[in-house]
Amino acid sequence: MINVKNLSFSYKKTEGARVLSDIHLEFDQRSTAIIGQNGAGKTTFVKLLKGLLKPDIGQITIKGQDIKGKTAAELARTIGLIFQNPNDQIFKRTVLDEVMFGPLNIQMEKSAAKEKAIEALKMAGLDHHLDTNPHDLSLSEKKLLCMASVMAMETDIIIFDEPTIAQDNQGKEKIKQIIQTLKDKGKLVMTIIHDMDFVAENFERTIVFNEGKVLADGPTREVFSQKQALLQANVEAPYITQLADKLGFAGTVLSIGEFIDKVDANK
Amino acid sequence: MNSISLYVERNSFVHDIDPITKLIYIVFAILIPIILPSFTISFICVGISLVLLAFAKVLRKTVPVFSFVFLILITVIIIQGLFKPENETILFQIGPITMYQEGLLFALTITLRVINIVSAFMILVLTTKPSELVESLVRKGLSPRIGYMIVSVFQIIPEMMAAVSTITDAQRARGMETEGNFFVRVKAFLPLIGPVVLGSLINTKERAMALEVRGFNSRVPKTYLYEEKTYAHSKLIQSLLLLGIAGAIVWRIVS
Repeated sequence: MINVKNLSFSYKKTEGARVLSDIHLEFDQRSTAIIGQNGAGKTTFVKLLKGLLKPDIGQITIKGQDIKGKTAAELARTIGLIFQNPNDQIFKRTVLDEVMFGPLNIQMEKSAAKEKAIEALKMAGLDHHLDTNPHDLSLSEKKLLCMASVMAMETDIIIFDEPTIAQDNQGKEKIKQIIQTLKDKGKLVMTIIHDMDFVAENFERTIVFNEGKVLADGPTREVFSQKQALLQANVEAPYITQLADKLGFAGTVLSIGEFIDKVDANK
Repeated sequence: MNSISLYVERNSFVHDIDPITKLIYIVFAILIPIILPSFTISFICVGISLVLLAFAKVLRKTVPVFSFVFLILITVIIIQGLFKPENETILFQIGPITMYQEGLLFALTITLRVINIVSAFMILVLTTKPSELVESLVRKGLSPRIGYMIVSVFQIIPEMMAAVSTITDAQRARGMETEGNFFVRVKAFLPLIGPVVLGSLINTKERAMALEVRGFNSRVPKTYLYEEKTYAHSKLIQSLLLLGIAGAIVWRIVS
C-alpha cells in the first residue's frame, strides 16, 4: 500500500546530521507499530508519509502514486494522521461539528459527512456527546474524539501518534476495539508508540527506528525476540515478554494468555 | 526550538562584564551626545561601541539590525534634507530636487544618535543572556514577578511559534488547505487561531499553578539559582562612566 525508497530527510538543509537516512520500507495491510526512543525519527517519518514534510532524497508512493508535489490536504483523502495532543486540533463548538470538519474538507456531502461522523463517534464511544462542547470532555475522551475526526474521513491508511497516552484501562480497551474494527475493514493501521505491551497485543508488524535508520523490521514476535537490536535502540520488550524470558520460558511471549499457557505447559 | 534572544555565545571580555555595567554604559552612550551635542563626541561614542562589539566578536551579527536601522534613517535624511522648515542653504540640486544643508546636518545628528543608541544596546543584547540580565536587575531590587514576566516572554513566544506549526500540521492532516489565495488563508484562520488561543490560556493557567506550587509568591527572601556574575573591574568602569556623565553635565553648565 505504501512504498518508501531510499528516503532521507534533515530539518537543517545546510548543516547537521540527517534525521532519516536511506529508509527502504514497504507497507502492506498488516497493522504496523513504529517504535524507537525519542529522536529516532519516527514522527518525522510519518509526517513525510502524510506529506507534511517533503523528502530531501527518495520517493514515497501510496497506492502506486508518487506523493511528491501533493499537499497534506490533498493526501487527506488517502491517509489520516491522528496527532498526539488533542488540543492541537479541537476548535469547533460541538463534538459533531469537530468530527465533521475533516469529511467536509475533503468535499464529502454534508449528509454523508454527518453519517460518517456519527458512525466514527459510535466507534469511539462518544455518540452520546454529539452536542457537547469538545473542551468539556476529559483528555482521554478528547483523544478518542480526535481519532473519530480522522476515522470519519474514511481514509485507507490511518496513523495513530501515541494513542495510549492519557488513557486508562477502559480507554485502552476502546482503542484496541477501534484498531480491530479498522483492521477488519481492510485499512492499514499504523502507530508510533512507546507502549510496548500495547504493541505486542495489537500490531502484527513492528519496525524499530534508531538514529534515523531502520534497525529491525518484521513480525512483532520476531522483533521482540531480537534482544540485541532492542538494546541498541534503547527499547524495552513488553513486561510480560521480559518476565517470561527471566523465568526461562522458551520462545517469545507476547500476551498474558500466552504466558498462562506456558505456565500450564511447564507444570 | 528557536530562541528569540539575540544573545551570541562567545569568549570575550565584553561577555564577562556584568549586565549592570553594560546598562550604565547604555545610559552613558545615550546621555553624553545629548549633553555635549557635537559631531566629534557622537562619532567617538559610536566608535567606542563599535570597537566593543568588535572585541566581543559579534560585529557581523549587527549587520541585519543596522541594515534595518539604515533603511529608516535614509527616509529621515531625505525628508529632512528636502523639507525641514529651517532649510535655507542649498547644498546641491538634482533636477527639481534641492537638498539643503540645515536639513542634512539635522538628519546627520539624528542618524548619529540613533546609531549610537542602537550600538550601545547591541552590546547588551548580543553579549548578555536575558536570564542573566533579569537576575541582575532582580538582585538590584526589580520585582521578581516583573523579572519572571520578562524572562517568560523569551520562553513563551518560541513555544507559541512551535504550537502554531503543530496546529497547522494537525489541521492540514484533516484536509484543510493553509496555502493559497487570500480567501483560502482567511478560511484557515479560525481553525488555526482557535487551538492557539485556547492552548495558550490552558498553558498560562498551568504555568501559574506550577509556579504557585513551587512557592513563587513566597514572601521569604529567595535564593538565586546562579552565582552573581561579577567582573573584576566592574566598579572601576561604572565609576568612570558615572564620572564621565557628571563631568559632561558640569562642562555643559560651565561652558
